[in-house]
Amino acid sequence: MRSEAEIRTRLRSFVRRRAGDRPVSDSTPLLADRILRSVHVPELILLLERLRGAPIDVERLRPGDFDSIDAIVERFGPAS
Amino acid sequence: MSALGDALAEVSQTARRLSQLSRRTYQNPYILFEWPDAVEPERDWFSTPEYVSLYGTPVWAGLAEPARHRVAFHEAAGFYSLNIHGEKSLMQGLAARLYRGDLVDVADYLHHFLDEENKHSVYFGGFCTRYARVHRTRQASFGTDRSHDIDDFLFFARTLIFEEIVDHYNRVQARDQRLHPLARFINDNHHREEARHLVFGRCLVTALWTACAPTWSQSVKDEIRDDLHQFVTNCWREYYHPDVYADARLDDPWELAEVAWSAPAQKAHRRMVSAGCQRFLLAAGILVEEWTDAF
Repeated sequence: MRSEAEIRTRLRSFVRRRAGDRPVSDSTPLLADRILRSVHVPELILLLERLRGAPIDVERLRPGDFDSIDAIVERFGPAS
Repeated sequence: MSALGDALAEVSQTARRLSQLSRRTYQNPYILFEWPDAVEPERDWFSTPEYVSLYGTPVWAGLAEPARHRVAFHEAAGFYSLNIHGEKSLMQGLAARLYRGDLVDVADYLHHFLDEENKHSVYFGGFCTRYARVHRTRQASFGTDRSHDIDDFLFFARTLIFEEIVDHYNRVQARDQRLHPLARFINDNHHREEARHLVFGRCLVTALWTACAPTWSQSVKDEIRDDLHQFVTNCWREYYHPDVYADARLDDPWELAEVAWSAPAQKAHRRMVSAGCQRFLLAAGILVEEWTDAF
């Protein structure tokens, strides 16, 4: 499992690549603002699995898990 | 009538012809093939070696022959698993559209489509549960608030992309005499029925785009194109499955998935397999640029 700082850095890079010129912070609502959509979730899950070194059970996911970078770190980060 | 209804009316003649073919080749998946009691993953080929996701990487070059067979066997289970998950989503989408008010006229062909997809999953699931396991998918959907027309178009366009890639593998592996007869049968059987679905898919996707695109704003079309770009990447990522590598007893499966994904030989492979589908979507004006992220 990578550190929280490293996970945040990789997540910010993933999100910014899809945000275009829209500003994004760690609390920006990613799905509600349509910065990320359902179609982006599989690659995001793969990235998180690599950073955690452990699988994520897709059948137990909830939309709120990807609300923001903060929410993603809380749900899938080192303290999860 | 919806854009989908209009488009289906336009392809109704094709749908009638395909329905007749489906009736003529109707099959029972429970009696068509006798499953062997056991298979030998380290002796027989279950995937075409040149189509294994590690082919052309230093890892593949360093594997002994039994280990290569073992990887190809688990890749077969991975390939059948991604088919199971893809067909599950497809069946859900088809079932949701069956006898929808504007689609009653094509219910006959949707029944065949649904029936054939279910039968394919019987074969794929039969292999995975008997000899390996069903691998998980990362495809997750949280629903959308998009209009029917956009949802319908994206559903059939995604289905087409998924099936075109799968069908390329099926065609190659059905003809590959090195493969175990069971693997050749599953690939050949799937290819024969998918050929009809692809004809239907290309007609319908073209008709839907022609009917809907003039009514969609530029931002809607941009988002649809972005979705399709991301979708093809998602499709291909499923072919580089860390769980498959772990089952094949390879170390550090997540890193290996990334190494294989980034290997020049694999990028060229994805481009080659996707070429026909990409050419069709570009010619139809659905795509305006190549799928660079996936290659």
